[in-house]
Amino acid sequence: MSVNYLKSKNLTLGYGNDIVINNLNLSLMSDENYQIIGRNGVGKSTLLNFISNNFQGNIFKSTVVSVQMRILEISSQATINGNLTLKENCIYFTKEKIPERKMLSILEKYGMHNFLDDLVQNFSSGMIKRSEMAIADLINPEILCIDEPLNYLDKDGIVLLQNLLISRSKANRSNIISSQEFLKIFENNFEMIDLNV
Amino acid sequence: MFSNNFLIKKELLSEYRNNTSLFLITPTMAVLVLVFPILSENRFVVDDNFFIINQLLFLIFFTTLFSIRNPLNQKTLHRELNFANINKHYFFRFKILSEFLIYFPQALILVALFSIFTNTGVKSNVVYFIVSIVFFSINSIMINIIFQMFTTFSNRFVQFILMVPVFMSLSFFVAPIWLGINPNLTIIYLLMYLGITLLIFGYTNWILQKDLK
Repeated sequence: MSVNYLKSKNLTLGYGNDIVINNLNLSLMSDENYQIIGRNGVGKSTLLNFISNNFQGNIFKSTVVSVQMRILEISSQATINGNLTLKENCIYFTKEKIPERKMLSILEKYGMHNFLDDLVQNFSSGMIKRSEMAIADLINPEILCIDEPLNYLDKDGIVLLQNLLISRSKANRSNIISSQEFLKIFENNFEMIDLNV
Repeated sequence: MFSNNFLIKKELLSEYRNNTSLFLITPTMAVLVLVFPILSENRFVVDDNFFIINQLLFLIFFTTLFSIRNPLNQKTLHRELNFANINKHYFFRFKILSEFLIYFPQALILVALFSIFTNTGVKSNVVYFIVSIVFFSINSIMINIIFQMFTTFSNRFVQFILMVPVFMSLSFFVAPIWLGINPNLTIIYLLMYLGITLLIFGYTNWILQKDLK
């Protein structure tokens, strides 16, 4: 069932007295995919953080109506804990609800099954991104936000990301990605939120 | 029940693998404890009251080192909790518990070492003594987590300056108990301590619940 989980009128966001996003009207549906595009500094990451409840700046006079949903964000910085192994991170972020066999098969899909007992702090940025994608696949949230999706990923990694987004779309799960330009490598079923205008 | 909690497991594992861990602070403090009597009076027995005040100072020093060992980054914490779908009030409760599991045994070891190497002991009943350390631990841990969750003092020096006076005021309840006041007064002091603990815990939970809504 499609849910209008975020509706905003005159959304104005900023940090301190600086306004980053000014008077943006937004209406997000739970079965639609969105691409937020814009040049550097227009507030792509700020908007993505706001959608995923990670925004920690100021919300100025805005009208926001939201429905609580499981929103997960893969940001450009690592979120998983460097002091834990990949397996421990999976257990921590999924709260032990996922059977080990399923966890192993998904990590294998992302090429991370050989690093199960390695500390995440020793991983490369690409491996961290793959691990976060695997955890997102395990959790299967209703909304998945990805900031700069192609960062750190090699060709195989991009294919894995495409597959993840396509499979989620087929299951009526929403994906929101932010980048500087409209990325055509993903299917064309992404609605564009252009912050340049 | 608690040993199976994913949050406690994660905190204990992180602590075990963290290079600035308490497992490094404790041996350092133990060496200070060894050196202390020689430095203070050039012998292994010191005056009782002097000993108790210094033992408390050591505990405050130890707690401060413990508090600033691994500051939480608000932004990272917020992101991590969102990723794991953990509420802040849930995190607060289990963070207190995991910190207590890390801190309390080592604080006890430190106090015991102090007693052994200075060849003196506190003047109160062992049960009151341990209960007073429990209250001191819980309160100092809560204050520390509140500082880290609600303020942006990411600088360890600022944390140090702000937290030491708080820990000193918390130790005012411990000092009379250790100095051996009568049992009835001890119970009154402990009840006051319990009241403060509940007040801080309740107030923080209220703020976090309000934040959730």
